[in-house]
Amino acid sequence: MAIDFETIVFVIVSAAAVAGAIGCVFSSRVAHSLLWLMFTFFAVAGVFVMAYAEMLAAIQILVYLGSVMLVVQFGVMLTRRRIQDVESLPTLNAISALSGIGVFAFILALIREVMESSIWASENAGAPSTLEFADSLFNEWTIATVILGSLLAMAMIGASYLVRDERLINLLWDMGVEE
Amino acid sequence: MIDPSWIAALGVILFGVGLLGTFYHKNAIVVLMCIELMLNAANLNFVAAASHYGDVNGWVFTAIAIAIAAAEVAIGLAILLSLYSTQGTISLDAATELKN
Repeated sequence: MAIDFETIVFVIVSAAAVAGAIGCVFSSRVAHSLLWLMFTFFAVAGVFVMAYAEMLAAIQILVYLGSVMLVVQFGVMLTRRRIQDVESLPTLNAISALSGIGVFAFILALIREVMESSIWASENAGAPSTLEFADSLFNEWTIATVILGSLLAMAMIGASYLVRDERLINLLWDMGVEE
Repeated sequence: MIDPSWIAALGVILFGVGLLGTFYHKNAIVVLMCIELMLNAANLNFVAAASHYGDVNGWVFTAIAIAIAAAEVAIGLAILLSLYSTQGTISLDAATELKN
């Protein structure tokens, strides 16, 4: 395979993605983990662009980096006394070292399986267009889109139900009772 | 265009790192973030297959997976917040029940 500009960009972007993922796992502060994860998601959006999936890259940045990471940031802020609290990383005992080695071997075996899979042998058909994507999403997969919308509505209602405040003073205020 | 098998291999590496994170961490929020990482790796595989076959269904599945991940994070963090307000911790070792 010839080394062209696209290959170099892909290597840089994927190295950034892997570095961000490793930083997310091995940083001792949750806030730093979150920043590394955002870095990874940006790099994955870059990979989507390189696979000609510009629409998915836009969705990735808008949904993941714009809203999911914001929600996680709120979670980090609301569940600790100081934002810079140091998390105690697990001590590297025998079991965690063994699980690390096991996951590493799993990655290697899976990469070999994926790279040598017979599905890549067929002719590369080229990426679909965004117009086809919209057509498929709203014509062929209409029911799935509708179900997805109701699932999101249910998730939001359920989330606000889970974090409701049941203290008496708030209930009284809600009913308009004066102190 | 980049060979789609490389994109799938990147997905495999990200999935493995996310799996390692779910094994290593005790903080529930970090575990949730690692699950997001694994979902994103699965999305990379969908995109790789879609651009190899020229089939748009992989993109549709990716969009659906992203929306479901958003819902999952909202629910998960709501559970963690109510856990924190009842237990005072979100360590997965310490939290053994949702209600006191």
